[in-house]
Amino acid sequence: MMIMAEYTNRVYAIKTTAKQERTVADNIEKVVSEQKDIRVVAVIVPEELKGYVLVESPDSIARIEQLVEQIPHARAVVRGETTLAEVEHFLVPKPVVSGIVEGTIVELVAGPFKGEKAVVKRVDPGKEEITVELYESMVPIPITVRGDSVRVIDRSEDR
Amino acid sequence: MAARRKATRVCRECHRVVEGESCVVCSTANLSEDWAGYLVIIDPEHSEIAKKMNITMAGKYALKVR
Repeated sequence: MMIMAEYTNRVYAIKTTAKQERTVADNIEKVVSEQKDIRVVAVIVPEELKGYVLVESPDSIARIEQLVEQIPHARAVVRGETTLAEVEHFLVPKPVVSGIVEGTIVELVAGPFKGEKAVVKRVDPGKEEITVELYESMVPIPITVRGDSVRVIDRSEDR
Repeated sequence: MAARRKATRVCRECHRVVEGESCVVCSTANLSEDWAGYLVIIDPEHSEIAKKMNITMAGKYALKVR
């Protein structure tokens, strides 16, 4: 008998303990490889999605609930299912400097100038770095920081 | 978690999470400690995600490597 289940994989979201997403993904792999009742073919841990992991499985949600009970740090399955089309944007992470342009006001969230506000002077999308000048500094000193160590406060213009 | 992440490295070529000094698949030492996003492929033949990412081998991968 031909079963087309492989081609109708569904994606479920599992809620996890904060910062244990990767551990949960590793444990899912371990548990799934040890038995044959629950089939999970892939696990995604997107950086943007804190506290959740996404599992791709041809099985029903009841099976995934069974799985969650065996995984430490996994809390619950989010009701409902989704398709790959809805989560595939997580697979291609957008550059961290997207949305930052010259003139954007940012707050530094890491490094020695943590907490300082600054104006973006230059954006390097290739290296994912931005050059900023501190707001409250008397003399304008350009500082180059990583794109993920700033938080956008105010955009200079509407995109 | 932070300490674990520092110790874990990723192959810059195949994005595979590597334990040790070189990637077992590409046999390159071009590794990165700066990576984000995590993908575990358990069954590449039946996974649509694996097909989308052109992954043919089961394993652990990073989604983004700097």
